Amino acid sequence: MATVLEHKARFDELKLSAKVFFANKTAVAGLVIFLVFMGDALIVQIAPGVLGVTYPNDVIPPQFTQTNPECDNMPPEPPSLSHPFGTFEYGQQGIGCLDLLQLVMKAIRIDIAIAFFIVLVGAAIGTLLGVVSGYVGKWLDEVLMRVTDVFFSVPFLILALAVGYVIGRTLFNMALALIIIWWPLYARYGRSLTLTTKEATFIESARASGSGHLKIMFRHLLPNVLPPILVQISLDVGTVILIFSTLAFIGFLPSNVLLPELGAIANFGLDLAPLGFWWTVVVPGGVITLFALSVNLMGDGLRDVIDPRRRS
Amino acid sequence: MKLWVYVLRRLILLLPTLIGLTFLVFALEHLGGTALILAQYIDPHLTGTARQQLVEQLTARFHLNDPVYVQYFYWLAAILQGDWGFSTTIRQPVTTGFLWFMPNTIMLTIVASALTWIISVPIGVYSAARRDSILDQGVRVVTFTLYSMPIFLIGYALFLTLGTGWRILPSQFNIDPILLPTIPRTWFDDTNSVSYPTHILAIDAFLHGDWTIAWNAFLHVILPSVALALALLAGIIRILRASMLEVLDQDYIRLARAKGVPERLVNNFHAKKNALLPTVTSYGYLVSGLFGGAVVIEYIFTFKGIGWWTTFAFLHQDVGVVMGSTLVFGVILVATTLILDILYAFLDPRIRYE
Repeated sequence: MATVLEHKARFDELKLSAKVFFANKTAVAGLVIFLVFMGDALIVQIAPGVLGVTYPNDVIPPQFTQTNPECDNMPPEPPSLSHPFGTFEYGQQGIGCLDLLQLVMKAIRIDIAIAFFIVLVGAAIGTLLGVVSGYVGKWLDEVLMRVTDVFFSVPFLILALAVGYVIGRTLFNMALALIIIWWPLYARYGRSLTLTTKEATFIESARASGSGHLKIMFRHLLPNVLPPILVQISLDVGTVILIFSTLAFIGFLPSNVLLPELGAIANFGLDLAPLGFWWTVVVPGGVITLFALSVNLMGDGLRDVIDPRRRS
Repeated sequence: MKLWVYVLRRLILLLPTLIGLTFLVFALEHLGGTALILAQYIDPHLTGTARQQLVEQLTARFHLNDPVYVQYFYWLAAILQGDWGFSTTIRQPVTTGFLWFMPNTIMLTIVASALTWIISVPIGVYSAARRDSILDQGVRVVTFTLYSMPIFLIGYALFLTLGTGWRILPSQFNIDPILLPTIPRTWFDDTNSVSYPTHILAIDAFLHGDWTIAWNAFLHVILPSVALALALLAGIIRILRASMLEVLDQDYIRLARAKGVPERLVNNFHAKKNALLPTVTSYGYLVSGLFGGAVVIEYIFTFKGIGWWTTFAFLHQDVGVVMGSTLVFGVILVATTLILDILYAFLDPRIRYE
């Protein structure tokens, strides 16, 4: 009986949260755009043919030049009915007539995958360290805070460049460099959440009933710290996509690596845009903006859901 | 707590950060063994026995065969003595390059910050005062979009439209290349294109009374700083608007209104001052974005500051510069945060007692 009531209470809680979220029209718009992006990523991953995408991992399909000799040195074409985003010309040898819409659809999958990878791994490491140091306190806490201070003392873009320089300029290393920058944020956040939760009576009673430190940390503290962290994760996906596309834009990935990634596409467009082919930079940049915008709009709605003052 | 005690405490707390910062850079350089540190101090054009000799010299000097923590102190000693290695991109010592390029970046960030404040304070105050009016809605749409734009798109949109597209403002380099030969060689080093004494072309030309060059160099500063300001603006407006809304809800504002103070005065006198205080601290958090943004903006506009130099060095395997700018930007960021904190403690004495 008690569990049934508990379930009902939890369900009502969820219903109220959903109601608060869906009352916010811009947040819903954000959610819709976000779902379109996720849908694109999923379809390109599972069945790229549905969207007409071929070779989702390559900018230039294999043997493209042999089968399409007319595309050599073909300048980019402006947006038109057959190519809604226009076309693209890649590389020194100038392989033209690459449909930009198709490139963008491939890139969204890769961009979203990297963004989630960075934020999830960074959040996992950071939260774990934050909870432990917040719970244990004393010198461990002091040391961790000083370490995060050091990471915050360098502008993140420059730190990412330095780390990337040392470990090598590949896509995976770019993600790694950003994880190194991202975990301190979650360490701080997880710690501050732990410090407030630690004082709650249920932790005290857990300790009184003889729970060990590990059990308190992982069975009692962590589950209570997680919900706000999850919201933060969903918000950070938008921020991190801005940062790593900017990194790719300034040439983090070597120019011989042809990778469908939005920032890297914009970087290739740098040679074309000043000649009048503006869409080669503006379209990939605009797609990133749209994604970040949808996440930010959604985040605004989520904040309403979490903030008890704004839900009633 | 007296202000000077607070300042002293903050300074002492700074030490572990600075030590950690140097250790971070040192650790990065040593991730790949000794190859990077050797590359930093050896001119790549050196070959044969001369190179071999230098490698041995450096191994002895940095104690590269000793444990890592020993090496750290010898490396730190070299850094503190101002020996940061040799830059292959400018064929000069790394520290010389920083002296040349730093003033430009500092000027760019200062101008951009000033622009940000000038534009965002009235907008933030006004849109909070007219909450949910059409203007407020418009401001929110614009700031939300700007906030979601990658900084390279903001910069590049300006570059394409005002710069190369309509040719309203110059968008590349610190001065028109055609004007370069006309600059007097008495205060301009032609081979390295560095001006003296401040290394900021616009100011140097002004000091030497060369108006054409000063004006042209000044025009080259506008687009990069506007781009950087646009990137920062959205964050400041959002924080200021939220803080202003909170202040407007306070009792003393209600009292001011009740006693008949005109609405304009309530906003600009009673509310604005208090709303600005928390914005000053949040500006500290934005400074990191300011310097990161400067890197991208300088890259787009080929504006020769340390941001441009860092990306150039990154793309051309110049390790000393990449590591050096991590240190330099780190120290600048730490110093700026410190100054802002002290300023805040000065403005709001309550902070000192926390």
